[in-house]
Amino acid sequence: MKHFIDDMPLYAAGQLSHAAAVALEKHLEDCADCRAELYFWQTLQTEIRTEDLSVSMPEGLAERALEQIHVSDANSQAAVMPGIVKRLRTSFQRAFNLLRAQAYLVKREIWPASASIMALGVILGLVSKHVEAISFIIPLVTAASLAMLYGFEYDPAHELVLSTPTSAWKILLARLSVVSAYDLLLALASSLPMLLIVPPDVLGMIILGWLAPTAFLSALALLLSIWAGTGKAIVISYGLWILQYLKLSKILLNGSMASAWDSILNAYREFWRSPGLLLILSAVLLGIALLSTRFSDRGMKPVLS
Amino acid sequence: MIAKPLTMNYLHVTKSELTTAADQARDLDLLLRIADKDEAALKELYAAHGQHLYAYALRLTEDPVQAEDVVQDVLVTVWRTAGAYRGDGRPISWMLGIVHNLALKSQRRGSIQITEEMETNLRSTEPLPEEQVQTIQQAEWLRNGLQHLSPEHRAVLELVFYQGLSIEETAGICGCPVGTVKSRLSYARQQLRGWLNRTEVNR
Repeated sequence: MKHFIDDMPLYAAGQLSHAAAVALEKHLEDCADCRAELYFWQTLQTEIRTEDLSVSMPEGLAERALEQIHVSDANSQAAVMPGIVKRLRTSFQRAFNLLRAQAYLVKREIWPASASIMALGVILGLVSKHVEAISFIIPLVTAASLAMLYGFEYDPAHELVLSTPTSAWKILLARLSVVSAYDLLLALASSLPMLLIVPPDVLGMIILGWLAPTAFLSALALLLSIWAGTGKAIVISYGLWILQYLKLSKILLNGSMASAWDSILNAYREFWRSPGLLLILSAVLLGIALLSTRFSDRGMKPVLS
Repeated sequence: MIAKPLTMNYLHVTKSELTTAADQARDLDLLLRIADKDEAALKELYAAHGQHLYAYALRLTEDPVQAEDVVQDVLVTVWRTAGAYRGDGRPISWMLGIVHNLALKSQRRGSIQITEEMETNLRSTEPLPEEQVQTIQQAEWLRNGLQHLSPEHRAVLELVFYQGLSIEETAGICGCPVGTVKSRLSYARQQLRGWLNRTEVNR
């Protein structure tokens, strides 16, 4: 005889198909075991239903849910704005920390050395009553300080720099920003005393006179320092700068050679007096310098001796 | 032949409990309004189904406070996901599914074992007149036995016998095959029978 043990709960719950239910009822008439089984399920069902029907739902749950929804909606809206502000603040904080850290890490002598040479230029200019002294000195000071920015030769913290997770170009950029801002302030401060010997409306001309050459010479010095080392960078950039002031015609005996040299030198001087070209070139050089930190051996690896 | 009239009686009740087509249409409409952020619709939905949702949560958690939290979270979930309800299956079955998931999750977080306490309560029961003893004892051992079942097994019994869900809907809510629902029913029966036998021996 086939029993209906597995179907019994479904039958009790009224979920058996009509045909299956008829067959089961027919079987129940003859089978006491299955009747007992059905009785068990019916009792269980009654128990569950009685218990559940006696449960009364809590009042005001929908209102509480809506309150919860309102609060979390308000919170998520409020969370959007400070999120952006917070991220911006973090970025600024990080940039500031990097700048401050690098200001400590660059060679300390840069600060007083730049300032004292610049002061010397100011005194020289004032005494000789030649404003050009300033325009001559400023590019040299700035170029020298930038040449010492990066690389194993003059960087006391270079090994530390290379082992930090901050990429080398970011560090260079940070130092560059700090030192050139310092140099720029120094240069502006040095230009002001010139007002003692020139009328005020010339001041703008003086500043423009050193600004573009300084930018170019410094960018060149920086790039050379990464490629060839600080010493060579300073020598080369100084040489290029001083070259335009040389009156070689006095040294050279041959007249025709001297005049040819003079025309070349004039063109060369003209180059140093074209601010637009100089600024574009310095931007290009800076870009290359920042990229070079990635490829240059001198920039990346301290030389093992 | 007690079985037959009894069965008919239960069949009748069960059928009346099944949601009609009109009820389903109303539920769908409510869910649409909730998807459009109609707060009155959420209240209506709770008024219509709160008792069933709460009873199921209570059955699974066995803790009124926890069950209340579960149902509140269910309403929040319904509010947030009503737009995603694709209309497969009855709305009540969908909501019971949410109750199921949240209640079992909250169960796992802080499961309370009250087995010892229940055993003591059972033994301390006073004897009663003969005819009452039969029914009351049965109700009592079933109630205690139910509490000894795992939430998964209680869930199947509850869904089939109180919520009036089909085996297929029950399987959908529990996230298991139909065969597993059937085997859980028969396992629950064995457990309850075993519980009954043990208590009779103890008496």
